[in-house]
Amino acid sequence: MAAAELAGVFAVYKPAGVAWGRVREAVETRLLRELNAAPGRAPRQQVRFLPASAPGGGGAVGLVAARLPVLADHPLVRGPRFKKLKIGAGHRLDVKASGVFVLGIGHGNKLLTDRYNCHLTRVYTVGGLFGKATDDFSETGNLVEKTTFDHITREKLERILAVIQGTNQKALLMYSNIDMKTQEAYELAVKGLIRPMGKSPPIITAVRCLQFALPEFQLEIHCLHETQQYLRKMVHEIGLELKSSAVCTQVRRIRDGVFTVDDALPRTQWNLQSIQEAIQSCQLKVETELEKTLGHGENSLLHQLGEGWRHS
Amino acid sequence: AMAGAARRLLRRGLGVAAGPPSTRQLREAEEAAPVFQYAGKAAKRKDRVFVWGFSYSGALGVPSFVKPDEGWKKPRRIQPTPYRLETEEKISSAACGYGFTLLASNTRDITKVWGMGLNKDSQLGFQRSRRDQTKGYEYVLEPSPIPLPLEKPQQTRVLQVSCGRAHSLVLTDSEGVFTMGNNSYGQCGRKVVEDEIYSGSHLIHQLKEFDSRVVQVVCGQDHSLFRTKKGTVYACGWGADGQTGLGHYNITSVPTKLHGDIAGVNIIQVSSYGDCCLAVSDEGDVFGWGNSEYLQLASVTETTQVNVPRHLPFKIGKVKEAACGGTGNIVLTEEGNVFVWGYGILGKGPNLIETAVPEMIPPSLFGWSDFSPDTRVAHVRCGLSQFAALTNRGELFVWGKNLRGCLGTGRMEDQYFPWRVTVPGEVVDVACGVDHMVSMVRSFT
Repeated sequence: MAAAELAGVFAVYKPAGVAWGRVREAVETRLLRELNAAPGRAPRQQVRFLPASAPGGGGAVGLVAARLPVLADHPLVRGPRFKKLKIGAGHRLDVKASGVFVLGIGHGNKLLTDRYNCHLTRVYTVGGLFGKATDDFSETGNLVEKTTFDHITREKLERILAVIQGTNQKALLMYSNIDMKTQEAYELAVKGLIRPMGKSPPIITAVRCLQFALPEFQLEIHCLHETQQYLRKMVHEIGLELKSSAVCTQVRRIRDGVFTVDDALPRTQWNLQSIQEAIQSCQLKVETELEKTLGHGENSLLHQLGEGWRHS
Repeated sequence: AMAGAARRLLRRGLGVAAGPPSTRQLREAEEAAPVFQYAGKAAKRKDRVFVWGFSYSGALGVPSFVKPDEGWKKPRRIQPTPYRLETEEKISSAACGYGFTLLASNTRDITKVWGMGLNKDSQLGFQRSRRDQTKGYEYVLEPSPIPLPLEKPQQTRVLQVSCGRAHSLVLTDSEGVFTMGNNSYGQCGRKVVEDEIYSGSHLIHQLKEFDSRVVQVVCGQDHSLFRTKKGTVYACGWGADGQTGLGHYNITSVPTKLHGDIAGVNIIQVSSYGDCCLAVSDEGDVFGWGNSEYLQLASVTETTQVNVPRHLPFKIGKVKEAACGGTGNIVLTEEGNVFVWGYGILGKGPNLIETAVPEMIPPSLFGWSDFSPDTRVAHVRCGLSQFAALTNRGELFVWGKNLRGCLGTGRMEDQYFPWRVTVPGEVVDVACGVDHMVSMVRSFT
């Protein structure tokens, strides 16, 4: 019924302070509640011959035909119709981070594997604070050191960001496992399409400073194969490079493949109706994206990078 | 259930219960923590020198590469990645020759120029040996001061240095040009002496007779070019490939003015490293002369040796800077586009081996993208078979033949398209040689 039709990929906005598993369970519970609340099939009817006292003299018991619902179909006997839903999670977010969190339902879970194999970049907004360093690189960790930061200017920060981008650009070419001596490697490098299509350490493809107001600053980071703790560590290392120290105050994913913050459902909309609409509206986008990268056509990236990647 | 005595102590306020620190305690501990200062508001960026490439000749200036400190250590033949060289003064100009290097500083101190590497033709001046006071060192392993015969050593400043195959030129602001090294083709600007022994020679020649002050000196393989303030170009040295541009194929031992297509043209930059020469005028035109066996000048002539400067009619825009290598040439236009032509690994993949007409290298290979549309190439340099490009963000991109690790990429393979060299700082200038490179770098903060 509705559960079988419910299949696809959609995005949810995960709030900070909640584990990703709880978000997945909350969505699952809500969907189950709504699916079970919908009126199910009417119970089967059966014809029972019930004894009833005959209108004539006492003692003679007659049988009256009556249409009764089968007790085995009673909701209290059968229990809820749907007990579990197959909801899979895309790229995970840790407890302190927030942002776009992609989930798949039913057959949509297969698309999740394909999206993972696309190795697309994800975009984060990372907030930082100069002046202190902690052991887990976030504001709530144990204090390690406090330093001055009045010598930091936006120009110095942008210089460091340019270097980070440059070294990661090199890492992009190195981990993509393409032979640098071929003409194809040159053409892909010109177009900017070289990307590691297998396992690699976290690589940052672009960094930009959005806001700078001492002691706070905000960066927009495009990255591949990252973890949120790696981004916090990067903020800490930026602080060290600038001869001061920094902690990360906020990690927020604003884009995961084709899903942006606008497509992500807030907590008030974690219901069946909105999820079905979200799956519908994003279906075309997701399919074009997968086709472009993993498809079998001439223009797909996988075809351009070579057959070897199909099996990695 | 606490013991009575402990509870009484707590009630009197004399004891403190243990437990995880509360938020207030954490906040107070944080505010009470000391603040460290690593850099003040007026912290200046430091200037450094990084070297890489073939080190056995001593050209990198690190003695432990050639003669290690410990007996069990092996000498390092090649330095594949940038290595910091400690210098006493801030180096403003550097030049790489064929197995030797010159570093110059803008200072008014007595020691202005240091040299290291091969010294078999006294291209680094006379370096007195400590074992035998009458002889000089043939290999200088450390940056050693070069004694220039200046009239006013505490006032003259050295502007620029340049190195060729076995000779070097030092340009000063008020005392002309000093030349030293091999003079068998007259490249030092003095008369050729038959059977002259150049090894251990004390002779440093001074050149002053030009029509105006010399503002740039360039060394080719065995010839020298001088550019004056008025925009004229002088040349001396070997001319068998026409690289002196004086209209003949003979040796010239006195700097002579060039004519041809550059007569009357205000030249703002000259470049040479092998046997081909390029000049850029203030209007953005490119002129070339010298060896054309590798199609460097094939756009104007079929001859392989051009001995008169010829205008190269390229329709690529106004040219800002040009650099000549052994077999390939590179120019940078005002818009920031890079064009290459000639023979060898030109930077557009393994399929482009030779071209007579300049081909543009796409700016996306130098870090230009939608995220950073302001990134453009600011300078171009050429070694014998490598190219280097510096962007306005202080990044260094190299490509070409990786002879003995001179590209600095960390690998020994040739590089067919521009590749970023990881240098811990903003690269301000780079000098390319045959098998090593020297870069002047400013630290980030």
